[in-house]
Amino acid sequence: MNDKSVNTPPLLELRGVSKSFPGRDTPLQVLDAIDFTLAEGARCAIVGPSGSGKTTLLGLCAGLDQPDTGTIHLAGEPLHTLDQDALAALRNGLVGFVFQNFQLLPSLTALENVMVPLELQGLRNPRRKACDSLERVGLSARLDHYPNQLSGGEQQRVALARAFVHQPRILFADEPTGNLDAETSAPIVELLFKLNAEFGTALVLVTHDDELAAQTGRVIRMRGGRIMSGGDDA
Amino acid sequence: MRKSANPRKPSLWRLLLQPWIWLMAWRDTRRERRRLAIFTVSIVIGITALVTVHALRDSFERGFALQARALLGSDLQISSRSPLDREKLDTLLADAAETISHETTFTTMLGFANGESARLVQLRVIDGGFPFYGEVISQPAAAWAELRGEDPVVITEPALLDQFGLTIGERVELGQASLTIGGTVLQAAPRSGRFAGFAPDVYTNRAGLEASGLLGRTALASYHAHIQLAAEVDVDALMTTLTEAFPSGAIDLETPDSRREQLGRILDRVESFLGLLATFSLILGAIGVAGALNAQIRRRQSSIAILRCLGAPAKAATAIYGVQAGVLGAVGTLAGVVLGAGFHALLIVLFGDALPLDLGFLPSPQVLMLSAAVGFATCLGFALLPLLQIAAIAPLQVLRPQSNRSGKRLPSTRLLAVCLGLFGLLVLLATLSSASLVRGVAMAGGWVVLFLLLALAGKLAILLARLGRGRPFGFAVRQGVANLFRPYNHTLLLVVALGLGIFLLSLTLHLRGWMLEQLDFAAGSGPNLYLVDIQADQVADVRAILTDNGLPVLESAPMVAMRLQSIRGESVRDLADEDRIPPWVLRREFRSSYRAELNATEKGVAGIWPPVEWDGTEPIPLSLETGVAEDLGVNLGDTMELDIQGVPMTVVVSHLREVDWSRFNLNFFMIFPPGVLEDAPGFHVVTTAIPEGMTSGRVQAVLARSVPNVSVIDLTQILQTIADILKRMGQAVQVLALFTLAAGLCILVGVLLNNAEERQREAALLRTLGASSAQLRTILRVEFGSLGLLAALVGGGLALVGHWLLLRFALEATAYSFDWLAAGGLALGSVLLAIVIGNGLCRGVCNTPALESIRSNNG
Repeated sequence: MNDKSVNTPPLLELRGVSKSFPGRDTPLQVLDAIDFTLAEGARCAIVGPSGSGKTTLLGLCAGLDQPDTGTIHLAGEPLHTLDQDALAALRNGLVGFVFQNFQLLPSLTALENVMVPLELQGLRNPRRKACDSLERVGLSARLDHYPNQLSGGEQQRVALARAFVHQPRILFADEPTGNLDAETSAPIVELLFKLNAEFGTALVLVTHDDELAAQTGRVIRMRGGRIMSGGDDA
Repeated sequence: MRKSANPRKPSLWRLLLQPWIWLMAWRDTRRERRRLAIFTVSIVIGITALVTVHALRDSFERGFALQARALLGSDLQISSRSPLDREKLDTLLADAAETISHETTFTTMLGFANGESARLVQLRVIDGGFPFYGEVISQPAAAWAELRGEDPVVITEPALLDQFGLTIGERVELGQASLTIGGTVLQAAPRSGRFAGFAPDVYTNRAGLEASGLLGRTALASYHAHIQLAAEVDVDALMTTLTEAFPSGAIDLETPDSRREQLGRILDRVESFLGLLATFSLILGAIGVAGALNAQIRRRQSSIAILRCLGAPAKAATAIYGVQAGVLGAVGTLAGVVLGAGFHALLIVLFGDALPLDLGFLPSPQVLMLSAAVGFATCLGFALLPLLQIAAIAPLQVLRPQSNRSGKRLPSTRLLAVCLGLFGLLVLLATLSSASLVRGVAMAGGWVVLFLLLALAGKLAILLARLGRGRPFGFAVRQGVANLFRPYNHTLLLVVALGLGIFLLSLTLHLRGWMLEQLDFAAGSGPNLYLVDIQADQVADVRAILTDNGLPVLESAPMVAMRLQSIRGESVRDLADEDRIPPWVLRREFRSSYRAELNATEKGVAGIWPPVEWDGTEPIPLSLETGVAEDLGVNLGDTMELDIQGVPMTVVVSHLREVDWSRFNLNFFMIFPPGVLEDAPGFHVVTTAIPEGMTSGRVQAVLARSVPNVSVIDLTQILQTIADILKRMGQAVQVLALFTLAAGLCILVGVLLNNAEERQREAALLRTLGASSAQLRTILRVEFGSLGLLAALVGGGLALVGHWLLLRFALEATAYSFDWLAAGGLALGSVLLAIVIGNGLCRGVCNTPALESIRSNNG
């Protein structure tokens, strides 16, 4: 548990959040009455078996999807009431992402991929910041390479550089090492936590890897769409 | 300082001005440039076809306008039965006229062989430079110029010399004068009025006329002023001034526009056909654009989801791909305009010399700009539908690639607005091609119905394929059928796109066949020699003479003269006083005929012909031409009393006919049923066609000897000019239709290829799992072959309906024909094309190592 401050409002707060998807006959309940908070700069890992609702919960927390019921507040903003454009603006300002399959734009170079969040913010000269960010992840020599010219580990480094380049308040990482071998994973995890600490960013990490989850200091265990343990960080 | 969310909603227009949007649009093309080239090619082909067809249509219109001026020989012609007051005319036309040429015309006898034989001729005396447009060709070439000299001379039609066995340089008797034949006219000066006289033209000059002493002794002369107008003259205003300056009915005015009607309805039909062809080309291009952009956006779905996940609003993603579509559309439009202008020039080079039209080498800038604007607007309009889908791409897809939920439905108001906008665009296109808003709306409505029917066919195909699952087919066939209904299938899209393409191409082939038939019919099969005043007992002899001379008897009709006595019980005298009906219609002699059927130039518009419930007594049922019915103010059921050579007869209007008078067939204002006029005094008319290159002199000579009372009206010269135009137009129609067909097929290949990527990926996966080449081929053949077959059946079937509707309502045809062979070939070709493309995809996968296929298809 990260006890940054129990008196300040949480950075992320979910209350009574439920989510279902249309099923063949009846709706498929994926999340059921989830309560969950995360303080500013805190870290947590969401673990659980496949189909337990981890990724759905991550999507809701990041404003990528909307709950059926319940409330979600991120940095005080009620995500459950915002429209798509407002959510997009909020993600651009506050959120960073790292995905299992990297999700780099294939037609952009490493540098251009990292520049995108800054360009979306309207920054006039994003190149220098993006170069700095890529330097931090050790890719200053690969600026002009396209994703298909990079190894998996390198692509995930680019993704990390992109996730931190605009200094988000919260980072969502979905199985960040899921597509990498153990040897490549270790430096990526190290880099992830290093950058997280450096920028004071809160971290929500979805993983199957108990060892990696344990490194966050707070593990939320899910099963059947419910949080079995670790829901509130208070 | 910590940042907080700052929801901002930039407008799409503001986003379009942001350099970053343009930069992203450019970056995004990097790995897609070959594919985007196909997208651009669709636009280029569509716009090229549009520009070519519109430019040629415009050139034809301008050429026809010039040709029509050549048919009249001037910009304005004033005709009168009494001498025109030249001073008054000079005053009225002082500002408007560049040149005025006067002509006096009357029928008179021309004596041959020292007065042993004579022939009624139409004598024409032309002062001044008429004709101002077109050319008179004489033999010898200087003969026409000599006519302007001081020495009395005559020039005749060559057939007249053939008929009487005369040669140039011999003398003929005109009134009191004996004049030298200075030459013959191979291409005559335009006549005033189509049937100004039945007699052949003979020209003399003022000296010849004065020497003949004929002027002043004939009361039947007509006087014409041929006027070449200054530029920028308001012809309508001038005509109003002239009409008001002379007593009512004293003068007749004719302009090139009214003379243009000599070329008849066929020209309007060719123009309508070209307009339709241009619309088809553009819609084919639009199918290509929509198909290519749709495929592009589907391929970029994950990139769009990433951008949205990183915080780009949906509008920004829309703007990026909108910019791509716009720039590619602009490039494609520009290339299409250049290529279209090039094709236009090429066609003029290939056919221009042969056309009796003065066609410009380059299209007019207005046509180029209009085509470019319409083409670009269509390109963007049809790009909007795929662009709308971007709003529905969920950022959640970065986590769940199969998710297409955005939390926000496809914006129905925007969809509605885009659909309405596209409908408006279709109305604009259809109105441009048909020059009628009502027809434009109807045609656009037709496009919408067509689209819905094709979509319904696509849905039915999905349903049928789903019902077919579980049938005891082999693995490959089951896979192929299942591809038609599985999630992410392309059945609906391809059935609509391919069906629409095949519909347009089939329609083009049907219309092409019909148009060529019409042109061939109009150019070749009409009569050009009329034999009138044949007595009933001479008809067999006349037929025999024609047959013996190798000429066909095209038509033979009895003709009986009659006059109107009353309409609905009101006498003609009273009606004339009321001034509601033009006096000439009431007083004229109607030469009527009797027959039970309509000919090819007639179309029944109301009533029944021949009458079915008529007991043989009065009132006699009558079929009336619509124009004269309108002039007389009568309709179905109205009665009229006629005076037939002194015998009164009551008739009732039981049928109304439209007549294409431009076709020179034997047509009549009034037609009686058989069994009424057989015993009335009258004569017969027989028509024949003198083949191209022959003159009518020899047969006229035989007729003059055997049946001297029979008069001959020779229209070979004027009809030959028209036939030349129509034949060349036929060649142009053929070329343009085939060009559209080729362009359309290229676009359809593009549509199929654009939508084949998913199947290629699946084939690569199946290959990895061990599928044989034969199995992969069967899967893709079954799917693509089924789609091709369905699109061909539905598109081809609907084309039959569309063709009938266009002929019936847009082209106002009286005869219908379908090009079954070509359309069947197209349908078969489309199915084969789809199968070949399926095979091609399969070959690509089978010839590539499995891992490489998977990597390239996932890349």
